[in-house]
Amino acid sequence: MKKLVSAPALFLWAGAFLIVGLLLAFWWAPVDASAMGFSQKIFYYHAPIAETSLVGFGVAFAAAVMYLRTQDLKWDRLGYVSVRLGLLFAVLVMFTGMIWGKSSWGVWWAWEPRLTTFLLVCFLYAAYFVLRSVVEEEQRRATYAAVFAVIAFIDVPITWFATRLIPEGLHPVVFKAGDTGMEGSMFASFMISMIGMTLLLAALIRHGWQIELLKDRVTDLKSILGG
Amino acid sequence: MSIEEGAKYVAAAYAIILAVLVAYYFMSARRVTVLRRDVELLEEETKRRRASAGGADAD
Repeated sequence: MKKLVSAPALFLWAGAFLIVGLLLAFWWAPVDASAMGFSQKIFYYHAPIAETSLVGFGVAFAAAVMYLRTQDLKWDRLGYVSVRLGLLFAVLVMFTGMIWGKSSWGVWWAWEPRLTTFLLVCFLYAAYFVLRSVVEEEQRRATYAAVFAVIAFIDVPITWFATRLIPEGLHPVVFKAGDTGMEGSMFASFMISMIGMTLLLAALIRHGWQIELLKDRVTDLKSILGG
Repeated sequence: MSIEEGAKYVAAAYAIILAVLVAYYFMSARRVTVLRRDVELLEEETKRRRASAGGADAD
């Protein structure tokens, strides 16, 4: 079981799902009938990357809560790695979203609810690193970072529901209660890409967390040898 | 933006994203391997020093 959820295994699963998702999205799912045409294919990776970045911030939120409860630094390390990866995925979302915006709305950027709240998420989590860099003492830094991660997470559901709360915005609401909002082949391709991207995030988080814990161990051993 | 232009952007963006993520994975995998080796070496050194310190105490 441990081998099945190891980083290399998760990476292989992710690769398999992403390749199948790519093939299905580009060769099986029909070209969108709207004006976007082929450009709509960006949906099959733009939306999974977006949701994965929010999952990353969700993991950081859970890790922050665990740290505040236990004061165990391993949770701080998980939170740090999750925010870093969540932010990496968020930058990729902005990048793909701009292409989507240009082909769908004719502009690279629009100050509409989803985009604006998502940009705010990016700024908030970028500030997380600034906060970490200015606090020297380990436990204090971890506590401040955990509190900040809990507060920053408030913007994540706001971003998620922005298009539903303010439907006048440009960003489309694809999924509605009891309706996937798309053809079966499109939905299947999307879900496979979504699973692949989530597994890739899991593999990257596992590796990143392992790296941080190993770095701590190296520091401990060096201080034992030095002292 | 025409459909042909859009298609180019879509394909290029996907290729770049996958390249970034796969490169990130392999870089972190390499870092894990290097750190594991460092930990092993440092643990061996710690054991060796403890053993020699123990031997010196016994003398």
